[in-house]
Amino acid sequence: MKEKRVIVRRKRGIHLRPAQEIVNLTGQFACDVFLQNGSYRVNAKSIMGILGLAAAEGHELTITTDGVDEADALNEVFDLIESGFPNLKEDE
Amino acid sequence: MRGLTVRKLYEDRKEAFHFECLTEVLESERLITVSDVHRPGLILAGFTRNFLSERIQILGETEMLFLETLDAGQHERAIDRLFEQKMPCVIIAKGLEYDEILMRRASEARIPVLRTPQSTTPFIHELTEYLENAFAPQTTVHGSLVDVYGVGLLITGRSGIGKSECALDLVERGHRLVTDDMVIVTRRHNLLYGEAKEHLRYHMEIRGIGIIDVRRMFGVRAIGKNKRIDVEVRLREWSADVEYDRLGLEERMTTILGKKIPVVTIPIIPGKNITVLAEVVAMNHQLRVHGIRSAEELSENLVGTMDRSRRRAGG
Repeated sequence: MKEKRVIVRRKRGIHLRPAQEIVNLTGQFACDVFLQNGSYRVNAKSIMGILGLAAAEGHELTITTDGVDEADALNEVFDLIESGFPNLKEDE
Repeated sequence: MRGLTVRKLYEDRKEAFHFECLTEVLESERLITVSDVHRPGLILAGFTRNFLSERIQILGETEMLFLETLDAGQHERAIDRLFEQKMPCVIIAKGLEYDEILMRRASEARIPVLRTPQSTTPFIHELTEYLENAFAPQTTVHGSLVDVYGVGLLITGRSGIGKSECALDLVERGHRLVTDDMVIVTRRHNLLYGEAKEHLRYHMEIRGIGIIDVRRMFGVRAIGKNKRIDVEVRLREWSADVEYDRLGLEERMTTILGKKIPVVTIPIIPGKNITVLAEVVAMNHQLRVHGIRSAEELSENLVGTMDRSRRRAGG
């Protein structure tokens, strides 16, 4: 099991499109991926789970991965959130 | 341990309990950490052992009448004994009058004193209820919660296995969706309750379609705000290595927030109607609640039949 913290850097937080970016990425891995915001811990392969985090700009999230490809999953999810979702426009 | 400040209690319930704060301070040095409250009659009478100082202390009519029967010296010592304890706060019920010594000792000890016009016992019940909710253990579970024939089914399984599709199918057949894909589970009075995160309530994500609003699409009869969780239905890919329950003689259990509930594992095979199985799980649970255990009854019948045929053969 691996764990890393990341700060949300999008002005509008992790809303629908960023959540979709996350599940599209996490769905490619065999391992379990969790995101935690405060006391809420959700499955990062679930859109509704990620939306449930209501992760706003500046919130610190904990990424946890557990399984065969946990190291790659952890790094890629971290990079996606840390870089502020480069595939999306600022207002998307 | 989660704690609640006296200020939070005051602000949350100010209207409901018509609280007034009698002391200058509302900030207590001690957090409220338990949902039980205490009436400090015995410590006022002089018995200080085993005093439950972590609890909110409630002064009702009996305590106040008792204090009135004491002479000035005894009265002061009684109040001193109480305020030597580090309690979160003291609440005077029934809008009772208080004396100067009590307020002075409270201020010196920096222990807030609140007052409510409500009668003592109903007030204690309502306060305990509020505190129990505030301290109820909570967690999030990846799954969907549907009310099927009055039975709360928590449908779990890995992403993409078809939890949402199963929930949608159940809604289509007249059952009630509570939440899809993320359940906030709270344990209260030794039961588990589930509900949606407020801003996601009644929404579902269906792969290939996207996010839908179940309340708009299916109407109010298709939804429920919260529901007791009775059974977990675990969806799993069928595997030849796993032994599935074929008899239902034993009830298999799972633990959520320390509370055990029955779990039924259903293997997913293409073409199998999971929804009907989920309905059967709910009805079977309802039968068990009513004391009807199909596998055991069948077993007894079978043993009875074999006994009779053996007697006939032997006699």
